[in-house]
This record gives sequence, C-alpha cells and structure tokens, in this order.
Amino acid sequence: MTIINSFLETLADLARESGFAGFLVEGGWKNIIMILISFLFMYLAISKGFEPLLLLPISFGMLLTNLPDAGLYHPEFWDYTTVKEAGGVVNDHYINYGNILQHGGLLDILYMGVKLQIYPPLIFLGIGAMTDFGPLIANPKSFLLGAAAQGGIFFTFIGAAVLGMSAAECGSIAIIGGADGPTAIYVSSKLLSKADDIGVGTIALAAYTYMALVPIIQPPIMRALTTKKERSVVMGQLRSVSKVEKLIFPVLVTIVISLMVPSAAPLVGMLMFGNLLKESGCCDRIAKTAQNELMNIITIFLGTSVGATTRADKIITLAFGKVILLGVIAFSIGTACGVILGKIMYIISKGKINPLIGSAGVSAVPMAARVSQKVGQEEVPTNYLLMHAMGPNVAGVIGSAVAAGVLLSIVQV
Amino acid sequence: MNQQLYDLAQLLLKGTDRDLNAGTVSSVVITGIVVVFIGLILLIFFVFLYGKIFDGINNRKAEKQRKELEKKLPSTPDVSPSAKTTVPVVESGIDDEIVAVIAAAIAAMSAKSGKKMKLKSVKYAKPSRPAWANAGIIENTRPF
Repeated sequence: MTIINSFLETLADLARESGFAGFLVEGGWKNIIMILISFLFMYLAISKGFEPLLLLPISFGMLLTNLPDAGLYHPEFWDYTTVKEAGGVVNDHYINYGNILQHGGLLDILYMGVKLQIYPPLIFLGIGAMTDFGPLIANPKSFLLGAAAQGGIFFTFIGAAVLGMSAAECGSIAIIGGADGPTAIYVSSKLLSKADDIGVGTIALAAYTYMALVPIIQPPIMRALTTKKERSVVMGQLRSVSKVEKLIFPVLVTIVISLMVPSAAPLVGMLMFGNLLKESGCCDRIAKTAQNELMNIITIFLGTSVGATTRADKIITLAFGKVILLGVIAFSIGTACGVILGKIMYIISKGKINPLIGSAGVSAVPMAARVSQKVGQEEVPTNYLLMHAMGPNVAGVIGSAVAAGVLLSIVQV
Repeated sequence: MNQQLYDLAQLLLKGTDRDLNAGTVSSVVITGIVVVFIGLILLIFFVFLYGKIFDGINNRKAEKQRKELEKKLPSTPDVSPSAKTTVPVVESGIDDEIVAVIAAAIAAMSAKSGKKMKLKSVKYAKPSRPAWANAGIIENTRPF
C-alpha cells in the first residue's frame, strides 16, 4: 500500500511540475493561444512560403518560449535596472549579462546577440556580400527613390504617436516601413524595454510577414497611382559599370553615411564591408562564408531568439493589433512615396523613367524589384524593369539603415 | 554637426515619452526625411562625380583605341575577290547609306580581329524579342 501511495504521489508531483500543469495556472491559456499562433506562422512559412528562412525559426522560437517551465527564455532577465557605473554615471538601461550567462536558458544566451546588436549587422554583412550595387552606380538617381520610400517610416511615426504609444514604440513600429527585417530588429532591440507594451518579436513578426506580403500589398497601390502610359515606359539600357567604380562605392558610402549619421555606421559599415569583400575578387572564401555559412548561422540564432521574445503578454494585447495595423500602413505609405517620386521623375525626365521602379525603394530585396518587373510586364510583356528597379531597391537598404540611424539619434534609450 | 542639429531643434526624445505633441512629431518626420534625403543626395553627387570621371577615362581609352584602329585600317582592308563580289541582300526601305555604315563597321571589326567577315543581308529586326533572347534575359536576371 505504501509503495502504491508513494508511486501515486510521485506521479502527482510529476504532473504538478510538468508543463501541462503550467497551462492550467492563471494566464496559462494565453500560452496555448501563442502555441497555436506559432503553428499558424509555421504553416505560412512552410506551406505558403512566407519568408520561410526567418519565419520558420521565429515561429519555432515562439513555440519553445511559450512551453511552460521549459526555461529556455526568461523575460525578467532582460529588464533594465539602474546602476551607478564607474565615474558616478547613472545607467538606467543596465542589463546584468553575467547573471544571464550563469542562469539563462539557451534562447537567453542566443538573444544576447540581438540585444548587444551583433546579429543584424552580421546579417547585413551577408546581404552586402550578395548584393550587386551596379544598377545603382549606373543610375545614381535611384538613390532618390530609395530615400522617398523611407517616407513610410516617418509618416507611420505620426500614426503611432496619435495612438498614444511611447517614443520607443513609435520608432520601433515606424521602422517596419523600411521593409528591412534586420534593421527593424536592430532598432527595436535598442529602443524597446519591458516597460513597453510590444516586444522585439512582435516587430520582427510584423516586419517579416509584411515583407512576404509585398507582392500582394504593393501592386494595387502602384496601379492606383500610375497611368497605363506611365506603366508602359520602356527604360533604356543601363551603362556598364567598371570594377574600380564598384570598389570605390562601398568605401565611399561607408565614409559619407557614417560621418553623417554615426548611429547608422554598424549597419551601413557591415553592409558595405560585405560588398567590398564580394567586389574585391581577392577574398572569395570570406565573401562566400559571409553569403552562406555565416548568414545561415546568424539567421538561425536571430530567428529563434527573436521568436522567443513573443511571449503571450506581448502578443495577446491591443498593442499587437496596433503594430499589425500600423505595419501595413507603413508599407503602403513607403510604396506610395516611392511611386509618387517616380512619377515626378517621369515628368522631369520627359517620360524616360517608369514610375513603377519607385515602389522598389522599400528595401525588401529583391522582392520589391520583382514586383516592379511584374507590374511593368502586365502592360508591356517585353519590358524588363528588373535591373532598373534593383537600383532603388538596394538604395532602399542604405536608406532604411540611414533612417534607423536617424531614429536612434532622436529617440534616446 | 548632426547632433548639434538635433539639439538645436530640441529633438531628443526619451524612449519612455508618451503623448508626443504635434510639434515634436512633425519635427521628427521633417528631420528624418530631410536627413535621409541629404545623405542619399550626397551619395548621388559623389557617385555621379566619380561616374563622370571614369566615363571620361574610359572614353579617352576608347578614343585612343579608335585612333590606333584608324591607323591600321588602310593597310588591312579585305581585298579578296570573294569579298569584293559579295552583294548583301537589303530589305526594301533601308537606305544605301545605312548599309554602307554597317558594312564599314564590319570591315573595321574584320580588320581588328583579323577574321574575314561578310555582310550577307540587312533587314529590320522583328519588334518582339525572340524566345531564345527572352530565355537568356530570364536566365541572367534570375538571381535577382
């Protein structure tokens, strides 16, 4: 009898300590909903092909973090505390990384790379090593379209402020309009704290979901803002760009942008370093590592750890609805700003520039450029706008990094 | 300079600031857009400038090559009997001068490469791109 009682008590203890019991405590139902949401994102990534390289790790991180008592991620470790540092300087954004290293779970350790701003610049290194800036160098006017499309970021700042969000939340939501996942994570991880209603994971989810939806969001806006005649413009061939020009470009951009907006230096600097590795032709091994192995490793770390921040208390809130709403507004305004400047350039150039390439100024590379190509071909099937759209597209990457730097300069943590 | 600009406009927000007033938000929007445009316009200026410099260098090289070619040309025209007797088939509506220019260009290429080339026919290109050319473009632009 004693043996049976002991056996039953042990079973009961095991049940009480299991994750299943965690679902039954107060607020445990939210974890179940979060796990179901993670299934939805897994479905979107696997079945619908929505940015699967990032959405799948993010959704699996979301699943892991919402399993009660798994202890992979501890949001309380990431609360800012106030400490007096050497020299009597008061730091009210102190995170005890020593404590995280000693007591943190796997995803806590991986999340350090996000919080310490390591992963997004490394992703940019890989993007730089994969990007051909030739179309932009051949037609530098494309920079204007890349700049105009950043209008989505700043106009969304207004929307977020109207909805009563904090400056940090406004900046983090607005940057979604840049259509650049690593930049959005970079800005939000620097600005957001536990005091805010939204987390980095929320921003990353919205950014990557909308980036996947670019082919659905952009075409109606592009068609509404342009006439059939404008969409039918066949652009002339781009001039060929010499290797020396391609070598000077990354060095020039790094110096100009880093001197002008120093807080954009980590993103722009690594993007351009990656590009220099590619263009130099003497560092093929490193360039290939940056493009493939390093990029893939960082993508896994970034995705799972950012997914881990999507805890129920940050997602099942009204603020998440606001992020989703403002995110789509940011994308739409960014697209519209690009197309409108494209129209202005069409008029100034007396019909030589197809305004459709303006929408590619949002930096979803190369998806936005493909959309310009596709919408252009609907009017003239033999029209190849792709290379022309790649100019604004890669300019958008630089533009969104600059915009991120501006936001980080204005909104102080 | 950038930092001073922000300070002047009193545009340093604390992350926790809520209920941002219209003036502050407008300042953020205007400053943000202006700084992004200034940054990228500066890049346009520099890229355009060095693009022009390299264009100039490339043009000078091309000019030099052209002159060298001109010097060589008189000694290398193809005077073989077959070249003399070949008459290209010219589609109606194409000016004789155009045919002469094309023939001259081919003669120049022939002289430069040392290979014998003949102009067999001159006709208008079809308006649409052939299927193979389309396939080539698709293949080349697929990585994007």
